Amino acid sequence: MMSAAAAGSRGNELACPTRFNLHIPMSRVAQDSVGDLGMRVPAQSSALRPRPHDELREWGGSSLVRRKRVLDLGCGDGRLALGVAAFATRVEGLDPDPEVIANAKRNARKAGVRNVRFAAGAAQRLPYPDAAFDLVILSWTL
Amino acid sequence: MVDALVEIHRVLAPGGTLVDARPDSRVPAYAERRKPRGFQRFGVVKTSRLELANDRASDRAITRVVRDGLFKRRRNGRFWHRVPFSDLAELRKYLSEHLRFVHRAEWVVDAATRKRHSNDQFVIRRAVRYGLLEALRSPRNISPARPD
Repeated sequence: MMSAAAAGSRGNELACPTRFNLHIPMSRVAQDSVGDLGMRVPAQSSALRPRPHDELREWGGSSLVRRKRVLDLGCGDGRLALGVAAFATRVEGLDPDPEVIANAKRNARKAGVRNVRFAAGAAQRLPYPDAAFDLVILSWTL
Repeated sequence: MVDALVEIHRVLAPGGTLVDARPDSRVPAYAERRKPRGFQRFGVVKTSRLELANDRASDRAITRVVRDGLFKRRRNGRFWHRVPFSDLAELRKYLSEHLRFVHRAEWVVDAATRKRHSNDQFVIRRAVRYGLLEALRSPRNISPARPD
């Protein structure tokens, strides 16, 4: 989900439940082009967006995804898909950019998450059968 | 956008949930200095006109699929999120290159105060809105295709 450099600095913050304790300067954050942050801005969506658990809590808590089949559309580097995977039965992440999907797969391997699959594709032609999911997430996508 | 939402309705089981979360461009973001306790507002950061138009298009798409009976609104809400920067220069650089925000903050503190605190940690505090929509079993009728 994040570079090794960023991971070390974020270890304590992830353990802390206080949302606003997060403070990783952009210059210390991994350089990638994921996110809504503008194509020219080096960004790590994990650091510059709300943390998955914070978002989930605001939406109604883990019960929203618990034992559900989840589709994360516009999943980017898998920030949210990997964040909710612990609660869900399975999570599919879809993004039109094959490069970020490769990153997401790498992040999933690194995190050792096994119930998440990532694929490149467009939201207009979803490669899934009817009624395949209980929850679809459009996080910073629409 | 509407075609994507129709596809989402297809892959969602009846009664399933769609979460639509995105930055809330209806309210400004704020540039704030981090203090030992809390934050001090330094400026207001507005959303670019292009992004405002995109957000309105997204709103219209959601309204349309609700009107067409594909989804029912269950809950809406908003929360605030802080994006951290090591100092004022980094915040300025972010703004100058960012596509969502206008490139300059409207400062609410004077230049001397900004200079005095330029090495402090800063954040952009911005609103994130979300809506939970329930997928309905069968649409009442799909209105004819229109450009979003």
